[in-house]
Amino acid sequence: MRVKGRHWVAVWLVAFLAVTWLVYARQTAAIHDARELIEIRARRANLEGHKAELERRVRAEQSRAVLVPRAQAKLGLHLPADSEIILIPLPGPGSGPP
Amino acid sequence: MAKPAVRLEFVERGVFAVLALLVVRAAQVQLLEGRRWAEAAQAQRTERIVLQARRGTLSDRHGTPLALTQETYHVGVAPNELRDAARDGALIARQLGLTGRWQEALRRRYAYFAGPFSALEVRPLRGVRGVHLEPVVNRFYPAPELARATIGRVGDDGYGASGMEKTLDSLLAGRSGSAVVLKDRAGREYESPARVIAQPVAGHDVVLTLDAELQEIAQRALDDALRRMDADGGDVVMLDPATCEVLAIASRQRDGTARPSAFIDTFEPGSVAKIFAAAALLALKRVRPGEHVSGENGVYRLPGRTITDDDPQPTLTLADAIRVSSNIAIVKFSARLKPAEQYGMLRDFGFGALTGVEFPGEAAGRLRPPFEWTRPSAASLAIGYELSVTPIQLAAAYAALANGGLLLQPTMIREVRSPEGRVLYRHEPEPVRRAVSPEIAAALRDLLRGVVERGTGAEAALTNFPVAAKTGTTRRVVNGHYAPGQYTASFAALFPADKPQLVLVVKIDNPHKGSHFAAQTAAPVTRSMLEQALAARTVALDRARLSTAAPPATAVPLEDDGGVVPYVVPWPYQPDSVGERRRQTVPDVTGLRLREAVRALHRRGFRVALRGWGTAEHTWPAAGDSAATGATVTLFAEPVNPAAVGTLARRRAKR
Repeated sequence: MRVKGRHWVAVWLVAFLAVTWLVYARQTAAIHDARELIEIRARRANLEGHKAELERRVRAEQSRAVLVPRAQAKLGLHLPADSEIILIPLPGPGSGPP
Repeated sequence: MAKPAVRLEFVERGVFAVLALLVVRAAQVQLLEGRRWAEAAQAQRTERIVLQARRGTLSDRHGTPLALTQETYHVGVAPNELRDAARDGALIARQLGLTGRWQEALRRRYAYFAGPFSALEVRPLRGVRGVHLEPVVNRFYPAPELARATIGRVGDDGYGASGMEKTLDSLLAGRSGSAVVLKDRAGREYESPARVIAQPVAGHDVVLTLDAELQEIAQRALDDALRRMDADGGDVVMLDPATCEVLAIASRQRDGTARPSAFIDTFEPGSVAKIFAAAALLALKRVRPGEHVSGENGVYRLPGRTITDDDPQPTLTLADAIRVSSNIAIVKFSARLKPAEQYGMLRDFGFGALTGVEFPGEAAGRLRPPFEWTRPSAASLAIGYELSVTPIQLAAAYAALANGGLLLQPTMIREVRSPEGRVLYRHEPEPVRRAVSPEIAAALRDLLRGVVERGTGAEAALTNFPVAAKTGTTRRVVNGHYAPGQYTASFAALFPADKPQLVLVVKIDNPHKGSHFAAQTAAPVTRSMLEQALAARTVALDRARLSTAAPPATAVPLEDDGGVVPYVVPWPYQPDSVGERRRQTVPDVTGLRLREAVRALHRRGFRVALRGWGTAEHTWPAAGDSAATGATVTLFAEPVNPAAVGTLARRRAKR
């Protein structure tokens, strides 16, 4: 069958539409990915911020300024004097269990 | 009226002329001015942005982070873009902690809040239309008050402004990258990924020599002492004498500020410097064992100066002179030294010169050469006057006594690591010179031990561990004159007296309440710090070596202490710093389950300290580095997807 002029027009039109659709789809996907990336980055920043805040709080709660008075008040503990600290000497060479 | 053909021709020519003009203009724009317009278009539609590099982490010697980099935000608000100005405005004000007339700020065309605000603070604002977040990396200090003056701070320009942040700026800063982003006509960024021109290069991580727990002990002890004694200020320095690594350094002033005075402020050391006169006398054999000098009933007149003793003795040996801190005896003994010899010994111990510690603005102190001395200078120097030192200088000099006579350069830097964890630098002790022989150093330590056992330093004595130390109380110089009633109390100690592991220098400026003598002020502070250090789990003390110094456990009445359970070190204890042990490579445990990772580390003979839960993420020291068997390896773990764990572990097992 001989391809007439209007058929060529139709072929070109279809080709044009296909390329346009491809470009549109790729752009849409890229924008979607970019949004997702921004969102993930924001989430990571949030989590890192949260982690930093928790770390700060843990360090503050673990500090001697907080722990020692609490241990003294609630558990009746005290900082040991050196006479209350016993360091067990290491066994000498060859003095392991029989 | 012209004929239609003429009119048509006229119109045709007109159209042709317009078209010709358009073509000419197009040629001008495209061919002649094309480059300029292309550049203008490029500038309008793109923007080059700076990708900030992650600043390196500062951590203590056990890997506890002291300074980290964190993403924070500046917040811009375009009020006309807000959907509900009242509601959104209130939310913005609440999240950013705006007080006062924030409504007024939001009435402007564009409000900008520099902050910086944390990710948590701005999280609720992310979805609000009209709020524009500008990310900016910022420094975060998990324990802001810990060694604040030593660590320093980063300035608004992102560069280190003070302390170690300033010294290490070139290592920590990294290199910024750049990227190009697309913008629309209004200058708003398109939601498209930036085109990276140059990737940012993260800064190196630096492990400081500080021990966070010892640092906290030092700071708390100093704060308590200043409050109790109503003193003007003070300093505490703790060094490891084997390496001269600074383990803790605390400074505090009455107004609550923490100027790094241990590095930059000098003081006359007084009697704590007598040991260096004794060093010269022993090294040059100017004193015979058991040789006595008269105590002169407590008053000894010299040309140009009268020397007095608070506790007059009839006769004294050199050991007595150090033990009871006799000014008269040490001056009499020192008269046997030539000025050059006396000067040389003080110089050999590092006085009058920078120690070389990596801290900006360190002071060198003052030690005048003999040709500048006046008649009483020799006597003054023997008792620690006419000499100004910094606490860090004094600690380094005492470290030389502790390690067998070798003056080492003090350091704050233990390791430098690349962002990938590769060790680029590891500190090795740097000898400056031999100040005295090991035998003389041992003899001097014996003299200092006598100070604590039977002399002025008795308040620093521990029951089970011998301590060697020297007290010093000097008059303070205010506006160039000795101020009446103002004193500086100082105390330098070696712990334990045999094979010392710790050098402590405590200085209290102008105590108002109670005694002003170092024996009653600085010495008890030292004892308190030593007791806390002994009881702390992670402090860098080699307890295996300490245990040999302790009396047998049976000698301690366990039942007599009112039911208090004593702190018992885990057995068998493997300290970090035993030098003779075999070194092993730290295995790569990344991705392994915690149990497997710990087992792998145990198989190599390491102790394991866990940080986090889940899957092994990295270790400290890092995989591939070597560490002594028995050393503690910190294992950092993070929770991950269980499926991924299995895959990673299988992959690792295959390798």
